[in-house]
Amino acid sequence: MLKARVIPCLLLKGGGGLVKTKKFGSPTYIGDPINAVKIYNEKEVDELMFLDITASKEQRGPNFSFLKDIATECFIPLCYGGGITKTDEIRKLLRIGIEKVSLNSVNFTNPGLISEAVKLFGSSTIVGSMDVKMNLFRKLRVFNSKTRDTTKLDPIEYALSLESRGAGEILLNAVDRDGMLAGYDYELIKKITDAVKVPVIACGGASKLEDIERVVKYSGASAAAAGSLFVYQGGNKGVLINYPNYQQLEEILN
Amino acid sequence: MKREVVTCVKCLMDSTDPDIHFNSGGICNYCLEAEETLPKYRYTDEQIGANIGRLLQHIKANRKGKYDCLIGISGGVDSSYVAHLAYKWKLTPLVVHFDNGWNSELAVSNINKILDKTGFDLQTYVIDWEEFKDLQRSFIKASVVDIEMLTDHAIVASMYRLAKENNIKCILSGTNYATEHGLPSAWVWQKVDLKNIQHIHKLFGRQPLKTFPTIGIYKSFLYKILHKLDFLEPLNIINYKKLEAMEVLEKEYGWRYYGGKHYESWFTKFYQAYILPQKFNIDKRKSHLSALIRNEEITLEQAREELAKPLYTVEDLTQEKEFILKKLEFTPEEFEEIMQAAPKRHDEYETSIHLRKKLSSLKEKFNF
Repeated sequence: MLKARVIPCLLLKGGGGLVKTKKFGSPTYIGDPINAVKIYNEKEVDELMFLDITASKEQRGPNFSFLKDIATECFIPLCYGGGITKTDEIRKLLRIGIEKVSLNSVNFTNPGLISEAVKLFGSSTIVGSMDVKMNLFRKLRVFNSKTRDTTKLDPIEYALSLESRGAGEILLNAVDRDGMLAGYDYELIKKITDAVKVPVIACGGASKLEDIERVVKYSGASAAAAGSLFVYQGGNKGVLINYPNYQQLEEILN
Repeated sequence: MKREVVTCVKCLMDSTDPDIHFNSGGICNYCLEAEETLPKYRYTDEQIGANIGRLLQHIKANRKGKYDCLIGISGGVDSSYVAHLAYKWKLTPLVVHFDNGWNSELAVSNINKILDKTGFDLQTYVIDWEEFKDLQRSFIKASVVDIEMLTDHAIVASMYRLAKENNIKCILSGTNYATEHGLPSAWVWQKVDLKNIQHIHKLFGRQPLKTFPTIGIYKSFLYKILHKLDFLEPLNIINYKKLEAMEVLEKEYGWRYYGGKHYESWFTKFYQAYILPQKFNIDKRKSHLSALIRNEEITLEQAREELAKPLYTVEDLTQEKEFILKKLEFTPEEFEEIMQAAPKRHDEYETSIHLRKKLSSLKEKFNF
């Protein structure tokens, strides 16, 4: 048994195609999600995360029929985030075979949804997601990806508030690190994991297995999520789905 | 009245191929032709050394930019072995992979293993899946035999484009006579026939083609003449044997075989193991295995044993068919109807094949 989970984080655009971003912008098309799922299935991945990055912006809910296709093809525990605003939508997602849902944008407009959802579906189903970005004064602040605003909210207080409302896990994405292949924001992640008791999934910046090792061992993340690392090969960023084998993970994590 | 199927006495080819003919000894035209041509591809060790020397000299002399050459890789035996040769010969290639949305795990992990060891740069050409799906649907609906020409066409087009972008003059191709000869022309169509692709898609498609990489006949001539692009075939100069190549790849890279020629793609497997045999009465294994017999890699007995194996286990077929139909958005009923529809010839649709013949004769005449 490995001490931490290692999760490919895949981004959907327009509810359909797979993309990879840089600092939450300039999405590059990287292929068909269903095929990606089929490949990850055989690579014995711990968990898979799909985030629909345009759902909230386009003010629409999850693309259920598409997610159903993904879920029926996927033998791996699946977490979905993007455009969720109602408990009914969560129920529907769980019914089609999604294990966990991640709530992010909705927390700015309806912070009560987390507690409501936890009451209905249990905390292990609900991931409280937050994006963090450096503001003009070089302070790390919570970022609202729907409005593309860097808020005045302090990341630690925000993480604590997600926890207090019952989120079973916190997904922490560092905007400035996204797609940059320069390592996680180890200090930020460490501060958050020190502050909260719930597991923290670190995301943004992984470029090699050593980064995962460090974010788990140094920063205390319970899970390391990565996009570029698991969809690109080499410095030229050739699109080639990959995932470390169990032995490689054992070496870095245990 | 059903005619009896006649099989060649030396290989697995039989009269289900409309163009086959036999001599008085019962030997097919493919065997006879190979008997004449194969010796031209057999070399002594000294000759191989000289061949390689010439090839490398040519590649080095034509290097303009960062890379010596371009190699297209699918994760299959031939292209993987070309990458291995480039590594052995200390070349600096740009490796290109074409992702049409049907990669198997084996394909991507084989490519990964080769790149990990060689350290070659990889660039991928990821096709827009929604568009490519529509195109594949069009070809399936059109009931033409060569559905795979879409991928082959796009691969060639994208290779040309990437070669030009990176100022590369030499493309190392996995094409080889030894293991690929003797494919009946009734089983395939001209990959370069863009007009055929466009017309079929116009009749059956749902969305216009915007990003699908294409290369018309004129453009391909221009590339070859103006950009002086060379397609080099290293497997044709080294006494290539497929089984030996697989052994080398397994040993040196941890590469794994995927159980059938071109099964590195989910769609190709389904196409060769289900659509072709069921709808077109074509079993491509006959041609692939026969080539290996003539290349003295397996015996007729071994080939017969291999051919006797089922193309799909019942369980695999059920699962994979469901996946493939879902991915292509066909209902089982819809697909069944298409499978029952009579096959159509490619030239029942518009084609540029006649133009190609004209250009070829022009090329011969002016010798360019």
